[in-house]
Amino acid sequence: MNEKNKSNQEAIIETEVALGTVHPAALEPYRLRLFVEDEIINDAEITVGVNHRGIERIMEGLPVEKANSLTEKVCGICSNAHIWNSVLVAEKGLEIDIPPRASYIRVIMEELERLHSHLLYLGHGSEVLAHETFSMRAFYIRETVMELLRMIGGNRVQYGVSIIGGIRPRCDLDDGRIQKISDGLDFIEKKVADFADRFVNDLIVMNRITGVGQISKKDAIKLEVTGPTLRATGVDQDFRKIMKEYQDFDFNVITLSNGDVKDNILARVLEIPESISIIRQAIKNLPNGSIVDRSWEMSDTDIIHSHIEVPRGTLYHSYKIEKGKVRGAIIRTPSMSNIGAMQLACIGNHITDAQLCIVQCDPCFTCTDRAIEIIDLNKRID
Amino acid sequence: MGLKSYSRGKAIHLMLVYTGGCNGCDIEIVNCVISPKFDAEQYNVFLTWNPREADVLVVTGPVTRWNKEPLKKIYESIPNPKAVVAAGSCALMGGVYKNIHGDIPSEEICGPVENIIPVDAKVPGCAVRPQDILAGVVSALPKLLNAK
Ligand code: SF4
Repeated sequence: MNEKNKSNQEAIIETEVALGTVHPAALEPYRLRLFVEDEIINDAEITVGVNHRGIERIMEGLPVEKANSLTEKVCGICSNAHIWNSVLVAEKGLEIDIPPRASYIRVIMEELERLHSHLLYLGHGSEVLAHETFSMRAFYIRETVMELLRMIGGNRVQYGVSIIGGIRPRCDLDDGRIQKISDGLDFIEKKVADFADRFVNDLIVMNRITGVGQISKKDAIKLEVTGPTLRATGVDQDFRKIMKEYQDFDFNVITLSNGDVKDNILARVLEIPESISIIRQAIKNLPNGSIVDRSWEMSDTDIIHSHIEVPRGTLYHSYKIEKGKVRGAIIRTPSMSNIGAMQLACIGNHITDAQLCIVQCDPCFTCTDRAIEIIDLNKRID
Repeated sequence: MGLKSYSRGKAIHLMLVYTGGCNGCDIEIVNCVISPKFDAEQYNVFLTWNPREADVLVVTGPVTRWNKEPLKKIYESIPNPKAVVAAGSCALMGGVYKNIHGDIPSEEICGPVENIIPVDAKVPGCAVRPQDILAGVVSALPKLLNAK
């Protein structure tokens, strides 16, 4: 609430609309407070923390292999990204070089996951737009991706592909699987092109989403927004370009300029063909050889950091290994840094668009609930 | 079959409550209602977010401390007869968060769901498969349909 309104209560009536934590409009539990004047949002406040499970705490003192598979349970959407990054931390610390075939299969999994996350975004976004047909179409296309993920990982959500030194033997790709992947990709490519065609030619939808929830490039940089949400405002930044796993692949970074709901949706739609092209390159040039290097030995390490680009932004993991156990784990998920953007996007829009403005940043409040505990020792004593 | 059970059987409303799992189970449940591949709507099963409309409560997640009271309130505001389906290993036994014994156990987990509200059907899996969800919901239905 700004000062002017406070002092001038009679003239301007400002109301607070509070949603949550469990609310029909939101899929995940979080608390949203909107300060509205007439129908226009003056300020928005998102509170997370309802889902806090204390993963970093549980990780403390677990054997590294076990901790890696626990990180997968941080998020059910980008589970592969979490286990991959967590394994990368250990590999960096123990100086393990993984076989190229394993690295390629990890990239294939990650790009399939990106497809599934982006299609989920389109489905969820259309649902919030109250366009159920588009939503069903997006879920229909996504089902093919889920089947491919299940085929490789053995499960539809938690795949557990990466292990320290490579990938699990059951996730190796033989000719039959590669054939299925390439058939699936053809299908997805065709269907997504159809979907995009219909979407951008639908005048009602386009009028509804153009210019809503705009974030400027400057604000996005200031708020440290990451991922496609940042790229939709015009910043050319993709961690994949500097990740060593992606050096063999040729792809474009999609940037758009407006940062509104339309550009956010289009950015994801345009990233889908790029992911498909990466997977095609990977299965075409898949190196032969072993998929796991078991010749490493556990040793103590310093604190190690690792960043990777995941479907929703940049993911950061760090921990140190002491006698084979994890100490001091820190996880920073992309939605954490995007909360600022969600709040900013709401301001100045109609209250009916609030949910849309939040969903445009692709939130995942489950993985956002990270703990920051500040203990004031002096206060405790008295 | 009485008129009440007949009409209940024609429109079964699922309410999904999410109590702090990893999102995997929730998306699978939404998926099994919305996705044309499973399409639970063809069996007259609809997804709702309003407890007053709901018949079946589907709970996922290990029930974190902050979600305990809301879950109870939601359960109480669903009109009788009602059935509760706990979906996913988190909801059944606290999942990996409760059972992976590290140095410090998490104090945030109040689950499993059984500790908080009565559960009629349990669907295992991490994450649950859409087929299993449908089977779980169907197995809880007699309680609804046979109620007076
Ligand atoms: S059972 Fe598994 S997939 Fe489901 S919410 Fe729990 S950790 Fe996630």
